[in-house]
Amino acid sequence: MTTYGRAAEESAFVRTYAVTRGRTKPRHLLALETVLEAGQGRPGPAQAEECGEILALCRERRRSVVELAGRLGRPVTAVKVLVSDLLDAGALVVPLTQSYADTGAGSGPSVQLLAAVSASLKRKWPDAVAYPQAG
Amino acid sequence: MPSPIPRPDDPSTVSPHSQAGAPTVLKIVIAGGFGAGKTTAVGAVSEITPLSTEEYLTEASADVDSLAGLASKRTTTVAFDFGRLSLPDAPVPLELFLFGTPGQDRFVDLWYDLSRGAVGAVVLVDTRRLESSFTPVSFFEDIGLPLVVAVNQFDGAHPYHPEQVRAALELPAAVPVVTCDARDTNHVAGVLLALVDHAVNCAATTNRAGHAPSTTLQDV
Repeated sequence: MTTYGRAAEESAFVRTYAVTRGRTKPRHLLALETVLEAGQGRPGPAQAEECGEILALCRERRRSVVELAGRLGRPVTAVKVLVSDLLDAGALVVPLTQSYADTGAGSGPSVQLLAAVSASLKRKWPDAVAYPQAG
Repeated sequence: MPSPIPRPDDPSTVSPHSQAGAPTVLKIVIAGGFGAGKTTAVGAVSEITPLSTEEYLTEASADVDSLAGLASKRTTTVAFDFGRLSLPDAPVPLELFLFGTPGQDRFVDLWYDLSRGAVGAVVLVDTRRLESSFTPVSFFEDIGLPLVVAVNQFDGAHPYHPEQVRAALELPAAVPVVTCDARDTNHVAGVLLALVDHAVNCAATTNRAGHAPSTTLQDV
């Protein structure tokens, strides 16, 4: 990478964390795919402009951390810091999914869940190319 | 630096009155070298225009650039694509999250994050740059994630037979190798289906992530 490229990258890094007021570690455990929905609480005063954008997006529909980061054009970690603030204020909540469909920690989805996905995909795209299974 | 499993540690952050139907999210990783067609493939089935998302990675700089001997870590940006699609007529609301990720080994930390709890991975192959597929293939094999290799048939590229690609990548017989046109929704949907069905077979025959063995009919 050129010296200029490195400098540009570093200044982007600094700008990003100005948004989070210097914080680089989110307070809450959030994964890329963690889905958020708008809650009853109100964000505190003096929040970053991006917090308002996050809330507006989550009022439209539930959004994942990765989607919020993509739409805001901010790195995932910075968005996690802001989402943590909004969780603390109750302005965002983490909705729970049906427990029987839960994907267990560290393991893949259950056979039952995969079978449901397979059936739904086939209904969604009846003309999907059918590939023979290997093995 | 794999981030932890999402588990709200503070009960107050969990919605007490969440309306029924919060979707169950399933992840699929689409990895491949530069120009292999990852963004195109994500876009072919995603309900949203693929979003380019950035994350910072901390890495040892000596491994990846010419600053040999500089022991300190530095932060770089990694960009990946995100798309999603919903399966509303499933028994429970399901959403598939698609992550298109570059194939270089310096993104291994990101792959760990994306792979955790994922259905599986598609490695998209451009036969003109086969070598860029080795790293993602061996990564997903090593962590035991169900894997499908999809050969993106570019116009003008020599149409290799899937078995030739299997031999070149030294893939075991159990890994499906398919050819597709990453621009075609029905092709990419077929690849996703091949992956999901392969994941069903994997889940039925092996016990991933150290789960206690479950008795199957064959065991009796």
